[in-house]
Amino acid sequence: MIFNISDTFKESFIVCKNTHKNFIKLSQDRNPLHTNQDFAKSKGFKGLVMHGNILNAYISYFIGECLPIKNVIIHSQDIQFKNPVFFDNILDFTATVSGIFESVNSIEFKYYFRNSQSKVVAKGKIQIGII
Amino acid sequence: MSEKEILNQVQEIFHDQLDDESIILTTDTTANDVDDWDSLTHIMLVVATEKHFKIKFTSQEILSWKNVGEMINCILEKKHS
Repeated sequence: MIFNISDTFKESFIVCKNTHKNFIKLSQDRNPLHTNQDFAKSKGFKGLVMHGNILNAYISYFIGECLPIKNVIIHSQDIQFKNPVFFDNILDFTATVSGIFESVNSIEFKYYFRNSQSKVVAKGKIQIGII
Repeated sequence: MSEKEILNQVQEIFHDQLDDESIILTTDTTANDVDDWDSLTHIMLVVATEKHFKIKFTSQEILSWKNVGEMINCILEKKHS
């Protein structure tokens, strides 16, 4: 098995305007919280709130592109959103191997996205299969 | 832990993983008897079972199971060893 318990992988992401624009194009989610600054501020946020599911796209990138092997598929992933993400936030992503299920060639990761203040903005688990 | 207790707990795992509370498992149940018990679901069931009972199966053990009863016997052996 190529993975060991506690193996840790790190990546960094910036939620830039282009990411925001492309995610809206993909998802068609134009909720005013994500697209209307005045509306977002009226709800107590300091600016436009980035779509939480942009982070799921980063998870897809992590699994598909950043692991030491390419023969993987995602079986499941969950995410808890803890704090908002705003334009140009730099997110540090850390994923740690939390479970190895050799009988079915499956690996579980526990992951965190943290902003530049080290505050957790999202966390969850990903289960992948090695095919 | 008795066979019946393990069967009930495995049944709960099936309910959760397959989102189907109507599934009733017996020791004779096979994958053909349960809707949506496909190869991907099988992996999720095995992982959930390993986590729940805090045991590890081998791929040989899994491949040898012909029905739920054989899966439960395998769990029993591991819990009592």
